[in-house]
Amino acid sequence: MTVPTVMDKDRLAAFVDGELSPEEAAEIVIHLADHPGDQVYVDDLMAANEALAQAFSAPLQEPVPDPIREASMKSPQADTIVPFRRRPLAVVSAGLALAASVALAAVLLPELQRGSPERIVALGPVPLGSQLNDMLGTLSSGVPVTLDGGEDVMILATLPVENGFCRELEVVDAAKDRLDFGIACHDSDGWTVEVMLSEPLSNADLEDGFVTASGAEVQSLQPFLERLGAGPALDAKAEAEAMAQGWVR
Amino acid sequence: MSDQFKKDLVGLVPRLRRFALSLTGNQADADDLVQSACVKALKHEAQFRPGSRMDSWMYRIVQTLWIDDHRRAKSRGTQVDAEDAGLSDGGRAARLPEDRMMLARAQEAMAALPEKQRTVLSLVAIEGLSYKETAQVLNLPLGTVMSRLSRAREALLPQLGMTKGPMQ
Repeated sequence: MTVPTVMDKDRLAAFVDGELSPEEAAEIVIHLADHPGDQVYVDDLMAANEALAQAFSAPLQEPVPDPIREASMKSPQADTIVPFRRRPLAVVSAGLALAASVALAAVLLPELQRGSPERIVALGPVPLGSQLNDMLGTLSSGVPVTLDGGEDVMILATLPVENGFCRELEVVDAAKDRLDFGIACHDSDGWTVEVMLSEPLSNADLEDGFVTASGAEVQSLQPFLERLGAGPALDAKAEAEAMAQGWVR
Repeated sequence: MSDQFKKDLVGLVPRLRRFALSLTGNQADADDLVQSACVKALKHEAQFRPGSRMDSWMYRIVQTLWIDDHRRAKSRGTQVDAEDAGLSDGGRAARLPEDRMMLARAQEAMAALPEKQRTVLSLVAIEGLSYKETAQVLNLPLGTVMSRLSRAREALLPQLGMTKGPMQ
């Protein structure tokens, strides 16, 4: 039978997890002496922590596997790169207006919608013969390309969707402290940039969430990708086959 | 790319493998995850701020990649490999049968937790990060870390044959 107790279990957990000051911890110790129900809970938490630590301890006693050691000691190979989805600050979907109440996105919007000539990625159809069109059509995922202007471009992944394929790409412009991210999808008319994201490069990995065209904040691109019916990213072989077939499913 | 960065990265691999194992439930997937994280770290070395904690940075990369992978293979779920269920170390960590059963139960209980709770519990209870450090790694408010931790333990303890918590 569980013995009734008086102390909040989150505070007991904080004690077990070493979150309390020495003075606070000392108070808990004194409290536990007179409250067996709390003492049982603390003992259980400690036992659970110990069980978890042991249950997953095997890697600490094993040598570093060769593939991981090799991957850590040499330059990354394109085929081994797994897309690392950032959490961009602002997103604009093609054909939709951004909520005016979102101040920062509103600042970014005019430039994005204009499709500034300085940008590699711009919303809307990708002109045939353009640099972007060539990269979307022929560049394998994970292969970095540095453009004449100094921008680093990489296709992050190819995702199969209901009517064809979409490709995620990012453009890092260190000189302008800018990170652009786009999702371009292919249909019978060619490539179209469906989503455009942008944030200061210095904020990359620091900002959380982005803003949809409806102004609602969400935590990832997953809802958008799900609306497209996107499946798992293609592996290198499947991507090469799709490329060879002109991105037609 | 500095040699010291690579050496530091290799030095972190055992802990990263442990963290990844707690997320994925089997060593093969965990190693794939860690390998991808190392590749990603090398590619983004310039984003690492010298003087900051590399382990926290790497935990975050592993966790982000895991979420990404999880989305791509959502239907797969976490698979606890029988070979890994307390036995992957040849039983060195648990010689008594009841200990081995407890370890297997701990792995199964972790795998049964929602992904977000599992990640927080792993960083706190296994990796030994403070609540604040966990919040920084996962880019979450401190209160969210604590509530996920609380819910994770509420689900975990009964599966380990322990109390569900003191009566309030």
